[in-house]
Amino acid sequence: MPSSFNMTNMPFSLLTEAEQVLLRNSLDIGYYQRGETVLAAGDVPEGVYVILKGVVSENDADGGEVDHVFVHYTAEDYFGGWSAIKGRAIHNFLAEEETICHILPTKTLLDLCAENSRFADYFQQSLSAKTEIRSKLGGDQDMAEFMLAQIKDGVIREPLIVEQGSSIDAATRLMREKRADCMLVKRGNRYGMVTGTDLLDAIVIDGFPLETDVAEIASYRLITTASGDYLFNALITMTQQHIERVVVMDDQQLTGVVELTDVLSYFSSHSHVIGLRIERADTIDALRDAAAGLSDLVRAVVGQGVKARFVMDLIAAMNGRIIAKLFDLIIPPDMQPHVCLVVMGSEGRGEQIMKTDQDNGLIFRDGLIWPDMHKTLRQFSDTLISFGFPECPGNIMVSNPDWVKSIGDWTQQLSDWSRDCDGTAQMNLAIAVDAHPVAGNQALFKTSRNWFMRHLQSNKVFFAHFAKVALEFDTPLSFFGNLKEKGQLDVKKGGIFPIVHGIRTLALEYRVLETNTFKRIEALVELGQIKEKHGRELCEALALFIQVRLGQQVIRAEQDGIDQTPNTIDLALLDKMERDMLRDALHIVKGFKKHLALRYHLAG
Amino acid sequence: MIIPRTIRQFKERIDHKAGPHGELFEPYDGDEVVSLDCETTSLNVKEGEILSIGAVKIRGQKVVTSERLDIKLKPPKSLTEDSIKIHKIRAADLMDGVEMDEALEQVLAFVGNRPVLGYYVNYDIRMLDKFLRPRYGFGLPGKAIELSHVYHDIIKWRSIGGNADLRFDTISRNLDIPMLERHTALGDAITVALMYVRLKYGETPNI
Repeated sequence: MPSSFNMTNMPFSLLTEAEQVLLRNSLDIGYYQRGETVLAAGDVPEGVYVILKGVVSENDADGGEVDHVFVHYTAEDYFGGWSAIKGRAIHNFLAEEETICHILPTKTLLDLCAENSRFADYFQQSLSAKTEIRSKLGGDQDMAEFMLAQIKDGVIREPLIVEQGSSIDAATRLMREKRADCMLVKRGNRYGMVTGTDLLDAIVIDGFPLETDVAEIASYRLITTASGDYLFNALITMTQQHIERVVVMDDQQLTGVVELTDVLSYFSSHSHVIGLRIERADTIDALRDAAAGLSDLVRAVVGQGVKARFVMDLIAAMNGRIIAKLFDLIIPPDMQPHVCLVVMGSEGRGEQIMKTDQDNGLIFRDGLIWPDMHKTLRQFSDTLISFGFPECPGNIMVSNPDWVKSIGDWTQQLSDWSRDCDGTAQMNLAIAVDAHPVAGNQALFKTSRNWFMRHLQSNKVFFAHFAKVALEFDTPLSFFGNLKEKGQLDVKKGGIFPIVHGIRTLALEYRVLETNTFKRIEALVELGQIKEKHGRELCEALALFIQVRLGQQVIRAEQDGIDQTPNTIDLALLDKMERDMLRDALHIVKGFKKHLALRYHLAG
Repeated sequence: MIIPRTIRQFKERIDHKAGPHGELFEPYDGDEVVSLDCETTSLNVKEGEILSIGAVKIRGQKVVTSERLDIKLKPPKSLTEDSIKIHKIRAADLMDGVEMDEALEQVLAFVGNRPVLGYYVNYDIRMLDKFLRPRYGFGLPGKAIELSHVYHDIIKWRSIGGNADLRFDTISRNLDIPMLERHTALGDAITVALMYVRLKYGETPNI
């Protein structure tokens, strides 16, 4: 007693039964008037305050001046824990309303912390544990990684080498063809470097004829480095010498060239390097190595605090490149113009961050004869799995003949699903309409999509059925508008899915060709189908869900390697402000669902 | 014949001032109040038996729930079906209860000469006195504070000519105090204590 104290809340639920009894026996109840200071900065706190009723604000004290309010606490929130452990209150706590608090005396708090380390962790988490997590993921690590990075395969470019005797004209054309902006000229057993600028200067300023031997204009004083040297040394050399590339020589042997742009982009979170490695991979193994760097990239980018929406764009582009490159490597060149590889689901919407299941399909030209098709596609899927893109549990992959269809069959399938209202058909359709072409002949995909979009316009009943799915899961908010769940929340069901699916329905109805939900929302706002304010709110809510989910995914992936519950949000890991934001975002979802229900007459 | 409590207390003070419980009869000069509540089998003092006693101290604006009394007594013979329906206290719930003698000793030690607060407090005091007098020769020595009187004194200016509704539930609703555990002695004592603190230190409630 008082048994009115709610023990099911974190962190009190961490206590054993005996510890809970001790806690109950030590509680007092305080009453504070509106405007009364519960705890002033510098005071010795009595203990932890757990609000039974009322609102308390935490603010920055400075001689009664207008203060900055950090956070509001309401029923069942606790405050003053850190102050109690520290012995002095750091901030002012002011009762904004009449407030009744349970007070857990400092002595008991310390006793409980001494006995129960998880409980103690939780109380100290607000500062130490959280900063530890942050610093683990933080930018410092990236800086360190950069400082220790060595000149290795990733940043060394294969040099373009020409023999002495090539003309300026031929050299320029070769550079153009190879998309290089420098080349090495071999003169005897020496190398000289010719850059694009050198060629330009030679012709325009020095007036050399186009037939001049490039060996004449090359610079033979090469600045070299060795592979294995630190990358930052190369950067320093380049800065000192005012040059943009250094030659890598190992034991008098030419290994390659390191370019300033590559070094700089390595510095800026490696993304460019991974992109380059993907682009340059000419075997499946090389591509696999490049793909492996993607998880590190995600972690680094998230750690730097880049907004999830931009991370998604980046990852979608990277995944798209990997898949397209693999397509080039595996699908025979004579077949490539006759087929189109599409990615679907979240991959198709470009909303994937952590590597999740592959959802892909293949559309081929009517009447195509390709006997090895299924064997090749099986190999394609297997290779992707070996890259760390897990198998799709719904088997929506090109290795499944159901998702490899001619244009005619593909389109027929879509319209069959749109007429059929059962769950599987609706789900398949939802996945398929997010399809996005990544490789092969995109015209095949566009033909099919355009036909389907036109076909849907005449089927009004479809939209009502389709929209209904968005309302299937409850929004986890209580009657009073608070978060319903106390421990964990399925953010996909509660928040992401209703927005994504509702927007998908609207996008189909208004023939928006975008597949990304954010872009669909923007397009719908443009068309006047969603009010600008609502559009912005929906984007913000969705971005928040994704951001919060990503934050926890990264932590889980770090702990266990594989994330078993990608859509679970552990509310206990969120701080007060994040929880409030999550609640507000869920209110937006609730409003949107109401809008859908009215829009498609789904009420009741 | 009913002798007014003040006269009785006056007599008891003279009789016992020099006795073993003399300190109970010193005038109280602290700032603590004890909120007390008994659950009984009947609302008639003569017939009633005490089932449980709950009490908490109030110190300034704080309800000191860490210092409290939560006594369950052994089941009395008069525990009938009717009262069980009200209190939801069955004989089985009182199996580990204490004897009346021990309960009274705890009450005296806890309350001392502090003022006693309650809702319909005279009933609880008379109930306790009924058992105290035969054993000690005196009743609870402290002043009695009736919650509904405190409430009435504050709100009467707002309901001139009207009858103030002094029911427990109404008061708790008007004061916006959550009822923690209705019909357990300690729960009621805490609720009453909170209402008292709210009345003493809070703004006048709007009714």
